[in-house]
Amino acid sequence: MQLRDYIIRRLLILPILIFGVSVIVFTLTRIGGSPIGVYLSHEMNAEEVAALEERFHLNEPLYTQYWYWLKAALSGDFGYSGVASAPVAEVFWPKFAATMELSIFSAAVAVTLGLWLGVFAGTRRNKWQDHVTRVVAVSGASLPLFWFGIILLIVFWANLGWFPVGRSNAEIWASIAHPTGFYIVDSILAGSWQGLVDALWHLTLPAITLGFGAVAIITRMMRSALVEELQQDYVDAARAKGLPERLVLNRHAKRNALVPTVTVIGLTIAFLMQGAIAAEIIYRWPGLGRWMASAVVRGDQATIMTYVLFTSVLFLFANLIVDIIYAKLDPRVRLGD
Amino acid sequence: MTSNLEGTEPPVIAEVRDLRVHFGSKRGRVHAVDGVGFQIRDGEMLGLVGETGCGKSVTGRAFLNLIPQPPAIIAGGEVLFRPRGGAACPACAGSGCHACGQTGGETLDLLKLPQDRMRQIRGARIAMIFQDPGKALNPTLTIGVQMAEVFLQHKSDELLQDAGISADDRNLAANALRRIAHQEDRWLDRRLKRFPPLRQAAGRIQQALDARVAAALAETQIANPLRVMRAYPHELSGGMRQRVMIAQALACDPDLIIADEPTTALDVTIQARILELIKTLQERHRTAVLYISHDLSLVRKVCDRVAVMYAGRVAEVGTVSDVFSNPRHPYTQGLLAAVPRAGARRGHLASIPGSVPELVNPTPGCRFADRCSQVMPACTQLDPVLGSVGEGHSVACFLEHPPHAGAAKIEKALTE
Ligand SMILES: Nc1ncnc2c1ncn2[C@@H]1O[C@H](COP(=O)(O)OP(=O)(O)O)[C@@H](O)[C@H]1O
Ligand code: SF4
Ligand SMILES: [Mg+2]
Ligand SMILES: [Zn+2]
Repeated sequence: MQLRDYIIRRLLILPILIFGVSVIVFTLTRIGGSPIGVYLSHEMNAEEVAALEERFHLNEPLYTQYWYWLKAALSGDFGYSGVASAPVAEVFWPKFAATMELSIFSAAVAVTLGLWLGVFAGTRRNKWQDHVTRVVAVSGASLPLFWFGIILLIVFWANLGWFPVGRSNAEIWASIAHPTGFYIVDSILAGSWQGLVDALWHLTLPAITLGFGAVAIITRMMRSALVEELQQDYVDAARAKGLPERLVLNRHAKRNALVPTVTVIGLTIAFLMQGAIAAEIIYRWPGLGRWMASAVVRGDQATIMTYVLFTSVLFLFANLIVDIIYAKLDPRVRLGD
Repeated sequence: MTSNLEGTEPPVIAEVRDLRVHFGSKRGRVHAVDGVGFQIRDGEMLGLVGETGCGKSVTGRAFLNLIPQPPAIIAGGEVLFRPRGGAACPACAGSGCHACGQTGGETLDLLKLPQDRMRQIRGARIAMIFQDPGKALNPTLTIGVQMAEVFLQHKSDELLQDAGISADDRNLAANALRRIAHQEDRWLDRRLKRFPPLRQAAGRIQQALDARVAAALAETQIANPLRVMRAYPHELSGGMRQRVMIAQALACDPDLIIADEPTTALDVTIQARILELIKTLQERHRTAVLYISHDLSLVRKVCDRVAVMYAGRVAEVGTVSDVFSNPRHPYTQGLLAAVPRAGARRGHLASIPGSVPELVNPTPGCRFADRCSQVMPACTQLDPVLGSVGEGHSVACFLEHPPHAGAAKIEKALTE
């Protein structure tokens, strides 16, 4: 099978998976509580409650309720957020973009750094560089994100004052248009150096906090995969052809070590999206995190549904990309072996 | 090949001298190769036999300087190599002298060669066929790409010539193509080669490359080279993969091929065919082959001479007919007695009791002493060395060469 056919097949399955996810998420949310909980108050009388139930079709079977929800969602109506006192669709995007910018930035840095460190350590196996990398990686994987973030906050924001909290400098951002909601993209579109530097400066601490664990996992995986590949016969066979070490590493060993590492990268991205909530709370990042935290506490179902659905879909896409890279790297996958 | 007359023998193209390769381990220093020495003559097939773990592969890899250090320690010795058509011998300026074995060619010590010189030899002058072709081929690259690497590494100038790019062309496009052919392409080169004017020239390089790869594959009797080139290793059978490895080893017409148990990992039914193929090609190309095997019957079939290894040393070396008809070392005799036993465990000898000794921090004495039926007191105290027992036939055993008087005295003192 060609890589193209493989991608097409995977893309065709995607809508079915998203549908399945939405059914599960809807059912779980309904099991978790009533959608009207967030509107109820002690002053309401029975008639008012009944009217609310009527509006949310609570007297009808679950699949009918789902059908109403799906119809609305497809037309862009994700319900009303009791916590934000506004329709979900209105408040969702800017917060979602903030969270995504943080997650994508952390993921990109973590993947780049993790792969680089893994190769660095793997090619210097059992030398001091390898040991130092191991210590860093073990701490990255074991330090609780929340605690690590607060330490960084105390040192670099409270004591040294090198980095800010929040997402941006209000003055700079008032002067720039925000067509995408991603500040890095917006500042580039506006041609504003100042804005770009400001966006990156604000991103640094939360991205380090969020990405450290992922760097650690990717580093360890890449290192051990590379060490294993370097012991394979085909590496010696490549050397026996007279290839320089650069090609032995780049064309043969590194590429094959990526195969198992890419799978792990897919999983770490899921962790990253969960960790984003904690990082946002620590650094007052105006993302979905704090909104979600209050939504969960107050049973704001429309918000929870939308959040879970979007992160699941994102996760599916991230996995699709990982699988495509995986298939591109390893012919045995796409050739159905 | 029976015993040759002095002077008519082909010149020695490679020689191992007192090679010692040790491995650091938790239990101590493993003397895996401990004073191995033998010569390989031009165009001959030399068998290297011995039980599993006696140091054959390590010895073979020394020719390509492919011994992983660490864990290995090269504790001494030389691996000498005289490439055909190499530079002139510095001692006699090419007229022939003792240092160059009358060949007039330069003698290289492969273990001391700088990395970049070694890389020019690997794959071009000395090639290797590995035991398991399923592991020696990269699973994620097509056969065509992997075979092409040999030509790109060693024949890139010819490829450029075939593609009509002369060495004098120094414009941007020619420089980019040269980098591509030399496998030093940059990111931009790979992008540019998809567009004119580079696309046509890059296509011609690829065509020249494909033609060479296909021809090399065809030589190993692969029926459909173009299909095989597009295949991944897992799509081919074991025998097919080993043909690919053989084609790859022969690609640059090397002077010496190290074949490390090339049929051991294969299906029994095709072992004979692959062995025959190696023999045919070796004769056609007049390539010297170091044929490593634990199987004496295979060596007897295809080799001219044979070196028998035991526990990191050479026990006996001579022509196949001498060694097989007149084995002088008790270990060789035991090996031969074990030859036609079907069903015996691979590399295990039923006829010799005991097993290969631990090679951790060995004490002096014959390595075979604790298994030898004719062991003498001297055997456990002194190291026997290879000594001649006939034209081109040497044995390391005190039965043939009793320890000299001084050593006998020491021995006497020790036994009293
Ligand atoms: N990579 C290695 N690490 C540690 N020890 C090794 C390694 N390679 C070989 N050895 C040691 O060298 C000995 C001889 O190995 P090898 O040359 O592969 O034997 P053979 O090819 O004759 O079966 C082994 O028994 C082992 O103790
Ligand atoms: S030297 Fe002694 S122990 Fe070794 S093979 Fe000869 S007789 Fe046997
Ligand atoms: Mg071996
Ligand atoms: Zn000379």
